[in-house]
Amino acid sequence: MSIDVEAYYRRYGPQVLRRCRFLLRDEEKAVDAMHDVFVQLLRHQDRLKNSAPSSLLHQIATRECLNRLRGARRRPEDREDELVLRIASSGDTEARTVARGLLSRLFGQVPASSRDIAVLHLVDGMTLEETAREVGLSVSGVRKRLRALSSVLQELEAA
Amino acid sequence: MKTPHRTPDWLLERIALGELPPDELAAARARLAQEPDGAARLAALEEDNRLTLEQRPPALVAREVEARAARSERLDPLREKAHPWRPLMPALAFVPVLAVVFLMVRPGPRPPDAEPIAEVTRTKGLTPQLGLHRLGAAGPEPLADGARAAVHDVVQVSYVAAGNRYGAILSLDGRGAVTLHAPEDGLNAWALAPSGTHALSRAYELDDAPAFERFIFVASDSPFPLEGILVSARELAASNEARTAPLPLPAGFRQVSFTLEKNSP
Repeated sequence: MSIDVEAYYRRYGPQVLRRCRFLLRDEEKAVDAMHDVFVQLLRHQDRLKNSAPSSLLHQIATRECLNRLRGARRRPEDREDELVLRIASSGDTEARTVARGLLSRLFGQVPASSRDIAVLHLVDGMTLEETAREVGLSVSGVRKRLRALSSVLQELEAA
Repeated sequence: MKTPHRTPDWLLERIALGELPPDELAAARARLAQEPDGAARLAALEEDNRLTLEQRPPALVAREVEARAARSERLDPLREKAHPWRPLMPALAFVPVLAVVFLMVRPGPRPPDAEPIAEVTRTKGLTPQLGLHRLGAAGPEPLADGARAAVHDVVQVSYVAAGNRYGAILSLDGRGAVTLHAPEDGLNAWALAPSGTHALSRAYELDDAPAFERFIFVASDSPFPLEGILVSARELAASNEARTAPLPLPAGFRQVSFTLEKNSP
């Protein structure tokens, strides 16, 4: 599928930028991340399926921001921010490289990282069913991934 | 977490874009209409769309994205257009070149002034090895332990199992982060190729973490879960000895470490 970056940005750019702002809490970093989200789309345009662009972009932006937040030492501004920072810095058995994340998502090998799932469920407030549909996993698969981040979840529940 | 009664932001975005199945879209719109500030939230989002596109015009953003993509393409070890039969695994294009290199070049010795390598736990005298190559303009360049590296360098990691059957390769960086490079997924150690030099399936672009990036290869004769290794690695990464201390591991593990010293950005 060929992507007209300008047309995609016109339709989805504001959504992506809001997502990046929400997660990064920094306008300059959010704009930078937003550009890179579209770079990923462009680089892999030949293999992209136009089934749910807004959903896919939401996830790519989430992963891009989590990668950028990894190791962040900034002070959380509110509870949601704290959750995001904890999840971003948590362990995950998947690689952090953006290209790998996108390819995995596109080809369904690993539909989403456990960190993405944790953000969708815990921060975005998606139900397990909504999260499962968003990332292309079964509900039990989502539960399994969340269990893989059990130490983080225990911290979150205790918070 | 948001209250369940309020339309979450992600759903509001889908409503604004109209990207939901028709029945779900109708239900979501009805739900939003019942919320006291539902219509105002949707209007605010649409106004934010307008302002974003006004402040960051599509033509300018598209130009920047295309420029970044072009720069990224130059860094990417995969030349997808040159290898259309294998477009999904970027670094594999790099592997055949490395395979030839590895036959001739083993990981180089440490520089004489480098800090002592982390202690290696040995049970049988066989030592696993890690090798790193950097993708340069003229092709793969072998790196020595302690070599200088910079953000955006693309590096390929390889290993020699030296008879060990299971392993994991991870890295610690100067920001205190731990990244698992192999296995690529799953909760348990990876079944190693017992002999020879083997490159990981993907190359890695170094990020902007400061000071150093240290790769550690943990190997064992028996299968092991990754969780304990990762917990130990995170504790080490958070300590002042992350650059040089051995990874604390139970008996029966071997480890080898390879550190890249990062240039200041």
